[in-house]
Amino acid sequence: MKSLVLSGVVATLLVFSGCSDKEPVVDAPAQEVEATSTAQEVEAVATETVSSEASDVSSVASELSMADIEAQLSSVYFDFDQFTINTDMQEKISTGASIAKAAALPYNVKLEGNCDEWGSDEYNFALGLKRASAVKKALVAEGIEESRISMVSYGESNPVCSDKNKECWSKNRRVDFKLLP
Amino acid sequence: MKIFLSLLMLLSLSFAKDATIEVIKRVDSLPSLAVEDSSISYDDTFKMRFFKSLVADMNVISLFNVDRHYRETHFNDTSVVVENKDMKYVLRYKMFEDDNGALNVGIKLIKENEIVLTKNYKVSRQDIYMFISHAIAHDINEYMGESSVAWMKRKVIFSRIVSPGKSEIVIADYTLTYQHTIVNGGFNVFPKWANRSQNSFYYTALDGKKPTLKHVDIRTAVVKNVISSDGMMICSDVSDDGKTLLLTMAKNGQPDIYSYKVDTKRYTKETRYNGIDVNAQFMNKNKMVFISNRLGYPNVFSKRLGSTEVEQMIYYGKSNSACSAHGEYIVYKARESSNAFSKNTFNLHLISTKTDFIRRLTATGVNEFPRFSRDGDAIIFIKNYMAQSSIGIIRLKHNKNYLFPLKYGRVQSMDW
Repeated sequence: MKSLVLSGVVATLLVFSGCSDKEPVVDAPAQEVEATSTAQEVEAVATETVSSEASDVSSVASELSMADIEAQLSSVYFDFDQFTINTDMQEKISTGASIAKAAALPYNVKLEGNCDEWGSDEYNFALGLKRASAVKKALVAEGIEESRISMVSYGESNPVCSDKNKECWSKNRRVDFKLLP
Repeated sequence: MKIFLSLLMLLSLSFAKDATIEVIKRVDSLPSLAVEDSSISYDDTFKMRFFKSLVADMNVISLFNVDRHYRETHFNDTSVVVENKDMKYVLRYKMFEDDNGALNVGIKLIKENEIVLTKNYKVSRQDIYMFISHAIAHDINEYMGESSVAWMKRKVIFSRIVSPGKSEIVIADYTLTYQHTIVNGGFNVFPKWANRSQNSFYYTALDGKKPTLKHVDIRTAVVKNVISSDGMMICSDVSDDGKTLLLTMAKNGQPDIYSYKVDTKRYTKETRYNGIDVNAQFMNKNKMVFISNRLGYPNVFSKRLGSTEVEQMIYYGKSNSACSAHGEYIVYKARESSNAFSKNTFNLHLISTKTDFIRRLTATGVNEFPRFSRDGDAIIFIKNYMAQSSIGIIRLKHNKNYLFPLKYGRVQSMDW
């Protein structure tokens, strides 16, 4: 209804404007263009250069998607002083394996083992590595090629949380998934 | 009865030499010593800093009851400061800056108004004053005829975590007062001295594709790659002659101990357990101790290099995850509470392979990174207690622990 009223108003305005065009036309002399000896240079037209890397549509798309895929892979958490995978963490590994078989297929998987601050020295590094190794075995069991998976341990040196409480410590006992091109 | 007595004597004689049970309680009978400053150069802040360092060092040699009062006098005064007249020993020193800006220190050890020892020391820069202080304590210990404290003059190398995944490697004196960052940037861990003279060291670089062991010559600053391994690569110990390394490597994600010959670059797998084997330490040229979880929790085991036989060394402690060995002695870190939900206590313990005694060396907090001095006279460690981290020195023969507060940063690993 509203649109009908509006188009009515517009039509009326058009009719009225046609009627008001009654002004006499004055024939003005044509203005001469002065010739000058030196032409003034105008600004160059702005251009944009697309570099060869940036012009490759496929590489930009895949870079973005690698980070995106990595964000979908959630860390696997472990119990105090343990490197066996709990049943509630098995689901995360299965999800990780499905992603690795589909969207992350062009990439290799790096597993980073980490520990809480309880423990020290070399034992903690080994514990982190055994955690990464446990996740690797689980991924292989889910059908991921062993050659695609590499591991590293950071012991207690790469914490995501540095508070002194149990929630924080449990967040640090983890294996992170990283993708490598 | 005679046989019984002589057996008893024999037993007590053999035990008397054992550091796990021999505790000398002679604090009350130690001679008194006062320290007098006669310095002519330098401001009061620096004078006090040097005085504190010297008093601390004189305490660590554990031969004197050291008076902590700061008193000034003239270097050539024939008598000691009046407040010190009852002291058995007076250590008087004079610091002065020469034309080249070097720090010079002259000392006199006065025993009952008689000068018994004079020495002069010099370092090129004022900020490395602590090395003079350590040298003075070392020389006075030597004058007193006690067993060497040469470890006082040795350097400590340690890695410090500066932020998650970032670390630096630092060289320091034994109190960690002097600190010089030698490897900066990146993720570099587990530094280890490569030889007795401490002019080169190994460390693990974690930034590359695989963890890689590197060797740095301090004199030439030349860095060389030694060996890489998947997952894990640590140089746990270096033999006395510097020719054999004990490494933890993890081929296929399985941490095991390997011996590595520096000259031939050949390595031999020493452990084959399908769990965790780490932290190998030479007991002697042919035998090592190491940490393994083959009983379901971390504990200390030993084996001969090249053999397959493994022996459990420790029967006390719920979780013994770090150790250091010197001859028959093993110092290890034991978790004394097993709890994922609250703070844990980790204490250091000493055992001898020749007796069944266990001596607890620390009482509170989290005590870690125990390392014997080369001569086995002292143990260095890190204590974390009540939100304060300190470096500790345990004098085994004197049953004394000395703590020096750490300025900043979390120590990742340490070697002496």
